[in-house]
Amino acid sequence: MAGSEPPEGMQELYPFLYSGESEIETVLAEVGRSTAEKAAEIVSLRREVAERSGVLLAECAEAMAKRFALGGRLFSFGNGGSSTDAQEVAEVFSYPGRGRALPALCLTGDVALLTALSNDVSFEVVFARQLAALGGSGDIALGLSTSGGSANVLRAIDEAARRGMLTIALAGYQGGKLAELEALDYLFVIPSASVHRIQEAQTTVYHVLWELTQHALGTLSA
Amino acid sequence: MTVTPPMERVSQAFARRETAGRMLADDSERVARACQDMAVRFHRGGKLIAFGNGGAGTDAAHVAVEFMHPVIVGKRALPALAVSNDAAAITGVACHEGFAEVFAHQVREWAAPADIALGISSDGQCVDVLRGLEAAHALGLLTVALTGGDGGTLARSPAIDHLLIAQCDDPAVVKEIHVTTYHILWELVHVFFEQPGLLGPEVIG
Repeated sequence: MAGSEPPEGMQELYPFLYSGESEIETVLAEVGRSTAEKAAEIVSLRREVAERSGVLLAECAEAMAKRFALGGRLFSFGNGGSSTDAQEVAEVFSYPGRGRALPALCLTGDVALLTALSNDVSFEVVFARQLAALGGSGDIALGLSTSGGSANVLRAIDEAARRGMLTIALAGYQGGKLAELEALDYLFVIPSASVHRIQEAQTTVYHVLWELTQHALGTLSA
Repeated sequence: MTVTPPMERVSQAFARRETAGRMLADDSERVARACQDMAVRFHRGGKLIAFGNGGAGTDAAHVAVEFMHPVIVGKRALPALAVSNDAAAITGVACHEGFAEVFAHQVREWAAPADIALGISSDGQCVDVLRGLEAAHALGLLTVALTGGDGGTLARSPAIDHLLIAQCDDPAVVKEIHVTTYHILWELVHVFFEQPGLLGPEVIG
């Protein structure tokens, strides 16, 4: 573009042709700074979670290990991004890179069942109904919700508790409605108002839970 | 044999995340460049096609829902598809053509040249992810890979435009860094959208 004036109107039509390199560099620098800030945010949030929930994590893993040792199974569930975390939970327990493979099933995987229940009954029952059919008193239910208010997660925790299952939930903010559930055995609250940072810290929480459970079962060496 | 008390184990597990978490900041320029190129593709009417195996497949699904249904009100929904989600397609292709072809086949089926392919593999050794990215590159797509460890075979592929490596050998930690990375990719693509003059002419699909 150097040396030539743009024809009249061209600059308005195609501003990118005439935007200076410096403008791009400014945005790139801003975006780069933002990346560094977010990386620092999640590092400090994880530290806060370790301080706040460390003791509870160790206890919860012991309780999970006891269930698994007696043949218990894990059922995980959540919506949206949390459904992908629920899948990862089932994957990491059932097909780990090391340690013992433990029976785990994610309740978001069966599209036929999810759409049938949602269409014919309500979306609120999609996880609870599966727990009613598949869960037993020796099993574990683990629900994920960033808001802590997902109706189908709350309902599933209630159903699991009624069946004598060990109940675990992960939430963000101040825990939402999950924090009010008496039926819940273990609640891990990620103290953040960013859905993204909450999900990132929740990923760490369930990975650490897996690791501690394996240790408690004596299948991972120090 | 010494027995580590549970609380110490918790502290150790969290401590193992710190270094890799911090090192993401060192990649900020690389992340910014990837976001810029992705924003240009979306601006031209492109869509995002994501894929990965196992846990990385759940990340591909997470990325797709992130773009399609933004958690932040007011952000524009952008077209994205996780091709590792469809068990029928995956098992069908795997059975007849071999597992290495599951993503490449779907990329060829779905991709247009303006699109973006995002392959996720925590050790960079997944041959089907590599094949998917190679097929995408051959069609003119922008290719982005999220990996970890030494980047594996993905790091040596000329088919990948943007390679982001989480600096850790533990696949669990690599995944955690990836979740932050794609959240940032999503958020910062939108920063470029707020400066549309930098992106070239918009194509409405």
